[in-house]
Amino acid sequence: MMILSIDTAGRSDAIGLIDGRRVLADFVGDVTHNSLQGIIMNIDAVLSNAGLTLADVDGLGVGIGPGSWTGVRVGITVGKMMAYATGKPLCGVSSLDALASQAGDASTLICSVVDAGRGNIYAGFYRRRGGVTVKQGQYTAGPVEGLVARIREPVLFVGDAAQVHRQTISALLGDLARFMKAGEERQGSATALLALSRLERGESDDALSLVPLYLKEPLVQALAARKR
Amino acid sequence: MLVLGIETSCDETAAALVADGHILSNVVASQMDLHASFGGVVPEVAARKHVEVIGYVINEALGSAGKALEDVEAIAVTSRYGLIGCLVVGVAAAKALAYTLKRPLVGIHHIEGHIFANILSNPHIPMPHVCLTVSGGHTMLVYVKDLCQYEVLGNTLDDAAGEAFDKVAKFLGLGFPGGPVIDRLAAQGDRTAYNFPRPLRRSGTVDFSFSGLKTAVVNRFKGSDISTLPVSDIAASFQEAVVEHLVSKTVQAASRADVSAIGVTGGVAMNSRLREVFAERCRQEGHQLFFTRTDLCGDNAAMVAAAGAARLAHGESADLYLSAVPNAPLESAA
Ligand SMILES: [Zn+2]
Repeated sequence: MMILSIDTAGRSDAIGLIDGRRVLADFVGDVTHNSLQGIIMNIDAVLSNAGLTLADVDGLGVGIGPGSWTGVRVGITVGKMMAYATGKPLCGVSSLDALASQAGDASTLICSVVDAGRGNIYAGFYRRRGGVTVKQGQYTAGPVEGLVARIREPVLFVGDAAQVHRQTISALLGDLARFMKAGEERQGSATALLALSRLERGESDDALSLVPLYLKEPLVQALAARKR
Repeated sequence: MLVLGIETSCDETAAALVADGHILSNVVASQMDLHASFGGVVPEVAARKHVEVIGYVINEALGSAGKALEDVEAIAVTSRYGLIGCLVVGVAAAKALAYTLKRPLVGIHHIEGHIFANILSNPHIPMPHVCLTVSGGHTMLVYVKDLCQYEVLGNTLDDAAGEAFDKVAKFLGLGFPGGPVIDRLAAQGDRTAYNFPRPLRRSGTVDFSFSGLKTAVVNRFKGSDISTLPVSDIAASFQEAVVEHLVSKTVQAASRADVSAIGVTGGVAMNSRLREVFAERCRQEGHQLFFTRTDLCGDNAAMVAAAGAARLAHGESADLYLSAVPNAPLESAA
């Protein structure tokens, strides 16, 4: 099964293309670019470099965040409309899960991290169990320090946001913290592989109703809720 | 040509099908109730709603027109002027559809959309004419030389007219949006009860200003118990000042541009007193008056599809690098 994936939740856009478990392309966009402008032509380049068109794709995977609110809306809207217009199945994939799945056979706690701006991060915790990466508890959002302070064991950080906050994390955790090497991220194919797994389980999302995973309310709603 | 229009520049998620000046469907998912509790449009809340409903709105536009996606021959989207986070959703959807369906794409300036709402309503409006586009997000006077040929004559220096309605309504405890409720109350009030200032009366330009007028209302009654105030009279007097300002600057612009036709479009063009005063003044001055039909006054996508068809007829289209630009100037077709 041929899967095209899009994830625009992180600092750089990721596009992946897989044929079964075989990775055909893992595109990483320029961090300085806005997602909206290049997204379609980047998808087109990934497909045409593989000698394919959208018609050859059997399913679409899309990162639903958490991450940049505007960024993730770009990717999810593109994924939804492509699925709607082609009738191909669509699978939303958590951007944190896709990051964590890149940790390979880590034996320690895995923490995937996406930047949330102003010293905040979105994070998910995972452990490898029987060859699969299993999420531990709920995703969290908040200041780097607060999230990291709760960790009391060796942990592997995944995601370029972990690199952004590396100094803070290392200062708090010392030797307990390990980091996935920069430039090793394969968010595109990781998203596609998780989408494939969902499709193989008979799961998919509705192209019209799929929405991003924000984890945080807009500020004004948070204020209104507090007033109530 | 069958054009799919998409509009998400502010708080309405809209899609429409227009073929050769005929509206086949015009779907608007209004977020009004959502924003009412905040007393105004919250950009992030609006953007979230757009993603949630855009697919349904497009699907409904096709369904109610009895068309399939493959029947669509071109896609037009509001890509310029509006809230950036909101514009992005419509542009992303339009680009994905244009790419998947292999159809031409065209990006439209939101104000140009409103001008085309008026042209759709009045297909025989003379060219050139002067068009007032007035809503909660903008107040602009445009010399429409011909289809897609524009010159901006005047603009608001501060708030949009609709924004002034919202702020005064909020001050008077009337809720959001302010335009309809003030219009309704003003109908029972005395519009000469208070003499609020007429902005920029001696400025010599055809620009607009509403923040001083809003402040005048607030200062006049600050500290009073709102429940004891003659709210209908205040609403009527305030509305009269806004309407006079809009009408006098528009008529002045038409005289200066030496055109006899005036178009009025945008959400505030639904205001009943504005329609009355414009009719009176245009009769006196010998101008022809063209109001946008009420169902096309607010933000909608039929106007975007119509503008798109005109731009495509000029040989213009966008490439798939099309982006969203919140503060772009209104530009003529090449
Ligand atoms: Zn508008």
